Amino acid sequence: MILTRWRNMTTQERRDAKTGYLALSPWMVGFAVFFAFPILATFYFSLTQWTLVDPPVWVGLANYARMFTRDPLFLSSLKATTLFVVLSLPLKLVLGLMLALLLNLKIPGMNVFRTVFFIPAVISGVAVSLMWIWFLNPDTGVVNTLLHYVGVQGPYWFWDKDWALPSVAIMSIWKVGGAAIIYLAGLQNIPAHLYEAAEIDGAGKWRRFWRITLPLLTPTLFFQLIIELIDAFKIFTEAFVITKGGPLKATYFFLYYFYEEAFRNFNMGYASALALFLLVVIMGCTVLVYRTSGRWVYYEN
Amino acid sequence: MKHLIGRRALVLVSLLLLLLGSVGGAGAQDPVTITWWTLASAESPEPAIRAVVEAFEAEHPNIKVDVTIMAESAYGDLMNTTIGAGEGAPDIAYFWETPWLPHTLDITDRLEADPDLSRDDYFEEYFNNWAVYNGRVVGLPFTVGANFVMYNKDVFDEAGVDYPTADWTPWEYIEIATALTDPDKRRWGGDRPRGPFRAIWRNIGATKPYSDDSATVEGYINGPDAVAAYTWLWDLVDSGATPTPADIEVLGTEGTGPVDLFIAGRLGMATLNNGHMITAANAGVNFGVVPEPHVPDNERFVHAWALRASIWAGTEHPDEAYEFLSFWAGPEGQRINMEIGALMPSLPAVLEDYPDAEADYFQGFMGVLNATQTAEWRATHPCWRGAVIRAVSDAWDLIMLGEIERDEVQATLDAMVEPGQAALDECVPRLGG
Amino acid sequence: MRTDAAAQLKRSNNWRRAKKLIGYAIVYAFMVCLACVFMLPIFWMASTSLKLPQDIFAWPPEWLPSTPQWDNYAEAFSKYPLARYMLNSAILVVANIIGALFSVPIIAYGFARFDFPFKNALFLLMLSTMMVPGHIKLIPLFWLYSRLDMIDTYWPLILPAYFGNPFFIFLMTQFIRTIPRELDDAARIDGAGAWGILYRVIIPLSRPALTVIVVFTFLWVWNDFLEPIIFLRDWDSYPISVGLAFFQGRYSVEWHLFMGATLVSIIPILVVYFFAQRHLIGGLASIGIKG
Repeated sequence: MILTRWRNMTTQERRDAKTGYLALSPWMVGFAVFFAFPILATFYFSLTQWTLVDPPVWVGLANYARMFTRDPLFLSSLKATTLFVVLSLPLKLVLGLMLALLLNLKIPGMNVFRTVFFIPAVISGVAVSLMWIWFLNPDTGVVNTLLHYVGVQGPYWFWDKDWALPSVAIMSIWKVGGAAIIYLAGLQNIPAHLYEAAEIDGAGKWRRFWRITLPLLTPTLFFQLIIELIDAFKIFTEAFVITKGGPLKATYFFLYYFYEEAFRNFNMGYASALALFLLVVIMGCTVLVYRTSGRWVYYEN
Repeated sequence: MKHLIGRRALVLVSLLLLLLGSVGGAGAQDPVTITWWTLASAESPEPAIRAVVEAFEAEHPNIKVDVTIMAESAYGDLMNTTIGAGEGAPDIAYFWETPWLPHTLDITDRLEADPDLSRDDYFEEYFNNWAVYNGRVVGLPFTVGANFVMYNKDVFDEAGVDYPTADWTPWEYIEIATALTDPDKRRWGGDRPRGPFRAIWRNIGATKPYSDDSATVEGYINGPDAVAAYTWLWDLVDSGATPTPADIEVLGTEGTGPVDLFIAGRLGMATLNNGHMITAANAGVNFGVVPEPHVPDNERFVHAWALRASIWAGTEHPDEAYEFLSFWAGPEGQRINMEIGALMPSLPAVLEDYPDAEADYFQGFMGVLNATQTAEWRATHPCWRGAVIRAVSDAWDLIMLGEIERDEVQATLDAMVEPGQAALDECVPRLGG
Repeated sequence: MRTDAAAQLKRSNNWRRAKKLIGYAIVYAFMVCLACVFMLPIFWMASTSLKLPQDIFAWPPEWLPSTPQWDNYAEAFSKYPLARYMLNSAILVVANIIGALFSVPIIAYGFARFDFPFKNALFLLMLSTMMVPGHIKLIPLFWLYSRLDMIDTYWPLILPAYFGNPFFIFLMTQFIRTIPRELDDAARIDGAGAWGILYRVIIPLSRPALTVIVVFTFLWVWNDFLEPIIFLRDWDSYPISVGLAFFQGRYSVEWHLFMGATLVSIIPILVVYFFAQRHLIGGLASIGIKG
């Protein structure tokens, strides 16, 4: 099939294709070594029962059968993860863009603000988690103390079955400064002359945003959408450090389940099947977004 | 072609090197290098680890110890990775997960033949529960750990409440905690257990979440004693005398209790361990130590543990590895750690010389050490931590969150039979029980 | 007439300036409030790092310690070789940045500018590498690096960067796609080949994206904890992320030391970012070419 396609191409097209493949070659090598091998190994493990300690025992599709027919934890982790994606993804996309637009204002001292808003993205793991446990502590935390002053009894946040998931979402939104930087870079490739022309035509700020900024930012938006989608599905650290998946499985995210199965329950075969399932789910969502992108993403050509 | 000469030279050189290498090997002068992974902590800090290596190498010039000191947070991941990959595991390390145990070297005979060390040198229960697995000696217990209740004397004095004594009951614990609680100061009387089937469960009479043969949870997870223990937990939560998990789980790491809140004077009593005890003593807290409450007619249990120091079954130098293991986890190594760090040795003869041995709290701790351990099934049952506790955690969460009524405890536990049984049935054939 | 017009112009200029100032004031006020919220953790970490351990969890909380314990910082840095660890991290960061800057533009250029069979499939395949949990790859990769005799070296932490990080490739691809092809054509007319266009047109115009790559590489490598733990063995070779983890003991965390050390450890990232961000601004927005 590839051969017939290749024969039907013009010389120029063939030269282009060769250059393209050549440009991709470093990634292809890296893919083969660092990715294809581990993923094939994972696929093999998913067809076995493997305690990590003893050699894997072939069980065929038993892990997948169990996953789809009789595993309540699989369902609750899928539910928690989906809820998290639905909750955090739109918020992160919109707030990140808003922050980037603010930081893109050409006013003096903006570089200080840009640094300040980047800080949450800089501090890693444990320090951030502790900060948030303290921040959202029901009795002594800053948020509930402030709420107390205005006469509201704040929730238990991470330890409330209804608030735990939103709390984790808030925490991830706080790191939006990292995403804002990427929007900021995207904003730089909108040619200034387009704005000038629009201003001459008397277009107001809103109009300019909807007519110029947003359409020309769609490649970046598309990037953010897919990256945040993948990221949201892979939520793990917060559950691992703070909530331990609780309470009542409210934050029992898919990757946390995977981790517990693999490294605490020593069920690497089943965990591998879970990991591959997640890969397929994210891949499905990505392909969906990718398919629609032709309709709303505006490229320069 | 022109490469030919180069290739011939290469072959010659490598042959020469090979010859040299074999001659060097025949001399047997080269010391054997063994690899050792360990963790830096307050009990066993980096200088103490270095001192152990130095002292050992001075005594054994023919053995070199290549030590890797690592942070605890990812130690389990690393061990799982190397064991799973089938290579790269160290000769000596902590093998604290039960499923790792098949990969440890059986040292029963070596220990018996050892003129300098015997299993009788260790605290008996710690040795039996943590170093023996399926009848074979799989390691040596390094340090001892135990849970007990630490009480802040200043908080008791301020509230005018008598100090607790060793014969207190779980229900008295709730009463005392309630008397100490002062919401205005954000101060609670006591804390909550950090998991079911620890000391208080056993003291109330709930032995195990499943039967001896690991076949069934019915009648165990929801038996009358378990219901009594979970009901006690319900009462404790209901009393309002304890902080919520949100206040306690500062990091959520297993084993780390509310020591920070205790030191800050915001907890009248807390179930902590000897590591915390040293932290609190260093911070100048005026505190005492009592065993966890128990029911007068029942046997007294203590939630205790040791770190299992073992030799990897795949080691190429079992003799040298044993030499080092018996030094590090024997009297010499544990003494060095006790003197440079704050380790509590698992050998009574060494622990006697503890620098703070005269202190009240230390005496209290010694009293706790000798109770029966809850560990005898927990230490080595591979399905408790990973599978069953997770399956039945909803009951725990419902009580901790105050979501159910007191008379619903039985029904809630009954509902755990199905998921608990499913987890057990999945896990036991795989990991054993 | 003339003065009238001038006065009117001046008045409207004044009005415009006043409007601009009011706008500034509103924006600043908003930004400052928001910044305070974002800075709160830093403030709290700084305050914690200067406290005595027993005061950290006291109620009511002390916002500023009455007697700041500056010695905490000295203690943290004498307890573990943190300066050395930061240097190690810096070495890893530089090696990774070089790798990323070397590989990512070429690969992204291939995706963005050339058509070839299976391009979309390959692109999705590339994205899929981001969808797999890192933990699942540990065992196969450890096995691989072990075979290559790379355990206890920096290679496992550096090598992958030279084959292109999918996140950056995707980012760069999207960025290149917004650069008008007319610019390529103009360069081609001037005699530039495919690679000439990359180096003369694409890379100079991609400064914002390349800056993002530098900053994020810095950030990720600096904070990466799991991989160094898995692949390094030597006490002196650890990066700062591992050094910080030493403050979390088995039974308690030395919060006062941990917070201080964390604070010091993020300074290099912030400094780099502060100076790098001026390159975030630029690209097509700064040159008035026609699209």
